[in-house]
Amino acid sequence: MVSEKLYLKGDKLLNILDYDFKSIKNALRMGRKETIQKIKDSELKGRGGAAFPTGLKWQLASEVEGEEKFLVCNADEGEPGTFKDRYLLEERPLKVLEGIMLAAFAIGADKAYIYIRGEYTRAIEVFTEIIAAARKNKILDSKIFDSNFKLEIKLVRGAGAYVCGDETSLLNSIEGKRGRSRIKPPYPIQEGLFSQPTVVNNVESLCCAAEVLNPDSEEFANLGIEGSRGTKLLCLSGDLNKPGLYEVEFGKITLQEIIYDLAGGIKAGENLKFVIPGGISTALITAKDLDFPYSYQAFEKRGSSLGSGAVIAVSKKHDLLDLMLNVSRFYMDETCGTCFPCREGNRQINKILKEFKNSGQKIDAELISDIGNTIRLAARCGLGQSSLNFISSVIENYGQELKIGGKIYA
Amino acid sequence: MLKAVIDGIEMELKEKMSILDAAKKAKINIPTLCYEEGLSIYGGCRLCVVEIEGEELFKPACATDIQAGMEIKTHSKKVRNLRKNLFELIIATHNIDCQLNCLTCSRANNCELKNIAEDIGVSKMRLDPIKRGEGIDNSSYSIIREPEKCISCNRCIRKCEEVQGIGIFTTANRGPETVVTTFKNRGMGNVECTNCGQCILSCPTGALHELYQKDIVLDILSDQTKHVVVQTAPAVRVAISEPFSNQAGDISTGQLVTALKRLGFDAVFDTNFTADLTIMEEGTELIERINSGGKLPLFTSCSPGWIKFIEHFYPEYLDNLSSAKSPQQMFGALAKTYYAEEAGIDPEDIVVVSVMPCTAKKFEAKRDEMAGDVDYVLTTRELASMIKSAGIDFLNLEDSEYDELLGVSSGAADIFGTTGGVMEAALRTATELITGQELENIDFDIVRGLEGIKKAEVEIGELKLKAAVAHGLGNARRVMEMIKEGEEFDFVEFMACPGGCMGGGGQPISCADNVLEKRQQAIYKIDKEKKLRKSHENPYIKKLYDNYLEKPGSEKAHRLLHTKYKARKI
Ligand SMILES: Cc1cc2nc3c(=O)[nH]c(=O)nc-3n(C[C@H](O)[C@H](O)[C@H](O)COP(=O)(O)O)c2cc1C
Ligand code: SF4
Ligand code: SF4
Ligand code: SF4
Ligand code: FES
Repeated sequence: MVSEKLYLKGDKLLNILDYDFKSIKNALRMGRKETIQKIKDSELKGRGGAAFPTGLKWQLASEVEGEEKFLVCNADEGEPGTFKDRYLLEERPLKVLEGIMLAAFAIGADKAYIYIRGEYTRAIEVFTEIIAAARKNKILDSKIFDSNFKLEIKLVRGAGAYVCGDETSLLNSIEGKRGRSRIKPPYPIQEGLFSQPTVVNNVESLCCAAEVLNPDSEEFANLGIEGSRGTKLLCLSGDLNKPGLYEVEFGKITLQEIIYDLAGGIKAGENLKFVIPGGISTALITAKDLDFPYSYQAFEKRGSSLGSGAVIAVSKKHDLLDLMLNVSRFYMDETCGTCFPCREGNRQINKILKEFKNSGQKIDAELISDIGNTIRLAARCGLGQSSLNFISSVIENYGQELKIGGKIYA
Repeated sequence: MLKAVIDGIEMELKEKMSILDAAKKAKINIPTLCYEEGLSIYGGCRLCVVEIEGEELFKPACATDIQAGMEIKTHSKKVRNLRKNLFELIIATHNIDCQLNCLTCSRANNCELKNIAEDIGVSKMRLDPIKRGEGIDNSSYSIIREPEKCISCNRCIRKCEEVQGIGIFTTANRGPETVVTTFKNRGMGNVECTNCGQCILSCPTGALHELYQKDIVLDILSDQTKHVVVQTAPAVRVAISEPFSNQAGDISTGQLVTALKRLGFDAVFDTNFTADLTIMEEGTELIERINSGGKLPLFTSCSPGWIKFIEHFYPEYLDNLSSAKSPQQMFGALAKTYYAEEAGIDPEDIVVVSVMPCTAKKFEAKRDEMAGDVDYVLTTRELASMIKSAGIDFLNLEDSEYDELLGVSSGAADIFGTTGGVMEAALRTATELITGQELENIDFDIVRGLEGIKKAEVEIGELKLKAAVAHGLGNARRVMEMIKEGEEFDFVEFMACPGGCMGGGGQPISCADNVLEKRQQAIYKIDKEKKLRKSHENPYIKKLYDNYLEKPGSEKAHRLLHTKYKARKI
């Protein structure tokens, strides 16, 4: 029987007096260099979707010169099917707070922002109280735990745009500008918030960092397998018997076990068709191909990604075309509208799929692949670049069944 | 220096150079649409994407700095195909159908989309146009916006914000509803737009153009009961030939006059004449203010874009503005009084048409304070289009002279067409009038050139006059801030458009390089070659004062030639 590995998950803990901040105290004792080294040694990768090594990000940021530096916690959690950051904010906010403190300390920032998805009203309430309690108990502001470390945290409420989960769009949004991606380079590490060096980290990444530095959970960094260390929060949803939030160790559990053991299998009377492994910006994994250990590299090998950890099980009862239309509609509506391939390409893909659905008008295989490649190769940010990953994988795997010829990505 | 390879050509390049600029050095043209020299990089259209060896995704040439060792393919098969696909996507948003086709578009002759289509060899269009159902914004007296033709390249936004420092346009909504619009979609006539028209010059499509009056004017020209007189602004004569010759810097004053006569105008006069008159009125005002301790610095008032700007943004300085009307408006007032009397024509029958390099002049003519002076305002572009539609072979026309009474001018009036020109014209006259001595050198090089803000201290006898010249509203704002911070000037020339009137929003949209420099050289050449180069020596100006206005600043001059301003909200 497979089981969860509980580090990030745990009992609801909201009272700041019951939390001992061991990780940050540990870091303050070790100093910035060693803290960063610990994170690097842990091989922690960002949990926001892009899987960038967290230790390297902190190191680069700590080495950049700037009038001031910022740490930004990305709690926009916009990827459909994802609800792990919400859990952490509502039930384990002190760990999130500690993660923010750690990162800020490591990179030399004395101002941090947390950007929380606007719909997360409960999470916003909880975290607002946590910040207030921390200030009251002299855990924020200055002379934190009798050190020279000072930190001010501001909470910013998102306004409901998916693109604002992208770090550069998020920075624009905090600055009060239109939520649209920035041209990279410069990367946020060089020129981020208000043009100052900035690290953006996902909520879960920061909690993992807190785990790595916690003397009580030294083994955390050794969990998993090479290239995929620690645990991962999974947001299991779709046609499952026991959907919900689970925490698993990397490399020690297969996708098969996740679906059939952890989540109790597919609902009665239905058969699994495929799994979307990391939110709708990732390519699907067919039901036949689930027997591999859950890790970054295993998904990469399959041309997909574990993305945000939103695992969506899709049974055979669904109309594939409806699913594609749904996803396509999402991307069409959520483009920031800046770059032409993403804005116009997604609009056209939606139109073509709609016409196919409504009138059976044959899909021009060459046209759809021309548009698909144009979006992927030329879009300005990750939203556009990955907007057709799912749809493309549906057509690749089920093109015959759908009577859609050709491929989106040539 | 670094080494990189572009399309197989090994190059040695400076650091921090974009791939676009590097390609230019290698004599390779990469198509661009959202890029415009002088504006910030937007990276939206993606037409400029190139393939970089070892990188999976393409990179925009305008927004990517070249790195040592890069191997770049700017026109590989993959890149060329992608550009064609992208172009199809762009065109599909750009509502082209039978009602709104390329023949009737304001940019039929110089549409950037058409040029790009040719450059990238577009051969098929597989996507149907998507109608967005947006109405035309005709709330402004100067500028019309046709949002259906807008492709959201953001050039107008950046031009207005970065060069003019205003920020009339913004991007609204997201996804397919993304549109470029004005604050709260109020329309250009209901926001702080100065009507300068710089945004039109930046627009690659026909989404922005002036409010056309060319058809009404053509109708009126065929009405035998009307006496239609026309005036031409200084900057028109150095640009009107561009749409015919596709080159910049030619002087075609004589041909301009011939063309206007052929179009049927009953009298062809020159705004230059009233430019000379402006110098007399404004110069007198300056001397008076200096002598009597009046409000200083004195600000010039001939650029209506600047006037609306100061009314919105610095209303506390309205008293610093010269009360002199602009040359266009002075002309209108005189045409319907002085000229009507001299020629024995009922003012009711006189129609005054202006040809201006400027879109803001259309708004100015509608101002309550001076309503009726000027009836219709055409841009240089509109006149070129009228000349074409009348079948006039402009470039081969013989020269004609302006009609005399309001058509003779000095070189000082010609240079009104460029930044620094009003200042120089004023300095020529003021110096001679104050000192009573003839100037040895009348070229005030110190206020010439295209630098955004020019400052000069000029000795006039005992007096040390502190002067400043600003062109482009971004620079105007900078000078206003200097003044606010306590910097002292006596006389400041402001022009709303970069380069002054010669760079006006109504000028031909040129494909030639260095247009402003070339037009400016042409203007100074006209001045240099004239015998008459000082406003106060213009015999027809003397005659006007002797026979009609008495003297500069007289009660009658004030009634006809001066105006008031009003504070406007932001
Ligand atoms: C369209 C788009 C949406 C994104 N949404 C989120 C999000 O909701 N939360 C998140 O943490 N990262 C999101 N990301 C990834 C961020 O850009 C960034 O990589 C991440 O916040 C970095 O943190 P990490 O290194 O800790 O993962 C998104 C990226 C893109 C392109
Ligand atoms: S890829 Fe999409 S979301 Fe990203 S900049 Fe382009 S339009 Fe905006
Ligand atoms: S006319 Fe001038 S002020 Fe008005 S929107 Fe265009 S650039 Fe801006
Ligand atoms: S109006 Fe013209 S310049 Fe402005 S965004 Fe639209 S197409 Fe571009
Ligand atoms: S010209 Fe480079 S992206 Fe538009």
